[in-house]
Amino acid sequence: MQSFTRRRMIVVLLLTSILLVTLDLRDSGFVSGVRDTFGTVFRPVERLTNVVTKPVSNAWRGVLDYGELRKENLALKDLLVKQEGTAIAAAASVREAQELLALNGLPTLAGIDSVTAQIVGQSPSNFSQTFELNRGKSSGIRVGMTVTNGAGLVGKITDATLERSVVMLATDPEYAIAVKVGNCPANATTTTAATTTTSLPAETTTTAAAAPSSTPDGVTTTTLPGETTTTSSTVPPTTTTTTSTTTTTSTTTTTLPKPTTTTIKGFTPFSTTLPPRPGGSGSQITIPETGGLVPRETGAMEGRGIGRTPIVRFVQASERLGALCEGVPVVTAGGSQSLAPPDLVVGIVARVVNRKGTAGPLLEVDLAANLESLNFVRVLLYQPATEIPR
Amino acid sequence: MKRFFAIIESPATRTFLLGLIVLSFQTTLFNTLRPFGVVLQVMLLFSCASGVAAGSEAGAVSGFMFGLMYDMVLTAPMGLSAVVFGFAGYMAGGVNAFVHEARWWAKIIAVALATAIAVLLYPAASLVVGVDGLLGSRIVTVALACAAFNAAFAVPAARIAKWALVKPVRQAVWAE
Repeated sequence: MQSFTRRRMIVVLLLTSILLVTLDLRDSGFVSGVRDTFGTVFRPVERLTNVVTKPVSNAWRGVLDYGELRKENLALKDLLVKQEGTAIAAAASVREAQELLALNGLPTLAGIDSVTAQIVGQSPSNFSQTFELNRGKSSGIRVGMTVTNGAGLVGKITDATLERSVVMLATDPEYAIAVKVGNCPANATTTTAATTTTSLPAETTTTAAAAPSSTPDGVTTTTLPGETTTTSSTVPPTTTTTTSTTTTTSTTTTTLPKPTTTTIKGFTPFSTTLPPRPGGSGSQITIPETGGLVPRETGAMEGRGIGRTPIVRFVQASERLGALCEGVPVVTAGGSQSLAPPDLVVGIVARVVNRKGTAGPLLEVDLAANLESLNFVRVLLYQPATEIPR
Repeated sequence: MKRFFAIIESPATRTFLLGLIVLSFQTTLFNTLRPFGVVLQVMLLFSCASGVAAGSEAGAVSGFMFGLMYDMVLTAPMGLSAVVFGFAGYMAGGVNAFVHEARWWAKIIAVALATAIAVLLYPAASLVVGVDGLLGSRIVTVALACAAFNAAFAVPAARIAKWALVKPVRQAVWAE
């Protein structure tokens, strides 16, 4: 009899679990309601325990992480100094790019509002990779919104209550997003001629001042080589006109260092020859051709869990599209069904894994954002169409 | 009034309150202390300890309860930890069926084994409900670390669980 009761109880527990899992997977309002209610009850207890256990946590961190933190702090200080200069240049470039995008009517992140939030908690599980933010629905945050930091994509909001929200990191196995991958470009080459000889004509006449001269009424005359110039001014009759002529002979020979070849990723080169300068040979410079910019391929990036880099699937290895290689940038693809707006930096391709048959290559992605040390993040108030509740 | 005290002192209420306190430690202190990068599973420890203290049946029920509470703060499907922790409590309680008045070392072994199995079972259960990618080589490290920690604290945890689960004599008097 007792065995029967025990068995019945185990069956009841199992069935309850199955029912709950099913309800949760079907996004039942009941389950989220229960979670919210429990959160309300549990939050004060958690806060109190946090206050009580804080000294223990700090002591633990102090003992184990002190050396590492010190090293990291020094490295960060160093990095900060380097970044300051780069940030200014980058800000200028971003503004320029946004202006260009706006001019061409292309979508840009500049038009999307965002909320800055701080990470206040981490998932206590060994399996899920989620963080809790100190902002929620009251700040406009909704499920599905994209989370970024200064470096790039961080993840997406998976749950939002009034004052809190939960971010699923891009490395979580349940995370997937459409991305664009730049194909490996043909290396751009900038070549400078080895020796440039510039000879001025034997008989060059220049003005005595050898510089642009200005007259009181604003008329400026610039002296060019190879011609005799008389500086004259159109002034009222009372002004005296001065004429000065000097003859000089000058031959200049400039020897530049060895030919330099610079490889620039992302540029498809073409050559143009500038018109020959007087007495010298034409110098060759390389300009990126706007029509030949590297094409972008789309694929799906999926997280693979803690300690593993995300991968991009469904990428074609087609000769027509160009080769895939390491180091090329990965950005979000955007589109009406995508989780994130287009052209958000995700990271760079760390490794290309070629597979046989029609499976296509796999790309391992090094995320630009350092998910190990997140503190403040930016939530883009952009809710994808697929995440809007019906 | 007697009824109120009876409810307050009932094993279910005690277990819930104990779970609430343990969960708060899980999400704060044990979320920070991560030896080898592993989050130590205190909720699982108390699930197993309940089984050791009060038998398979009580272990299964309290494990289910602790797991359900844990699910409330996780983003994983609700009920997944509940079923795994319930199973762990049931397994750990098995020590009472095999050994009459289990010694301390038998309790430790039971808790460690149940913990390791539960940690290995969780990704498999996730796979069944469609959450892919949790099964990896890292799971072995997680299972070993959690089992070692839970083994170390099995005896005190079993005492606390016993306090929560075993009906006090006074209640029996009030309940009459």
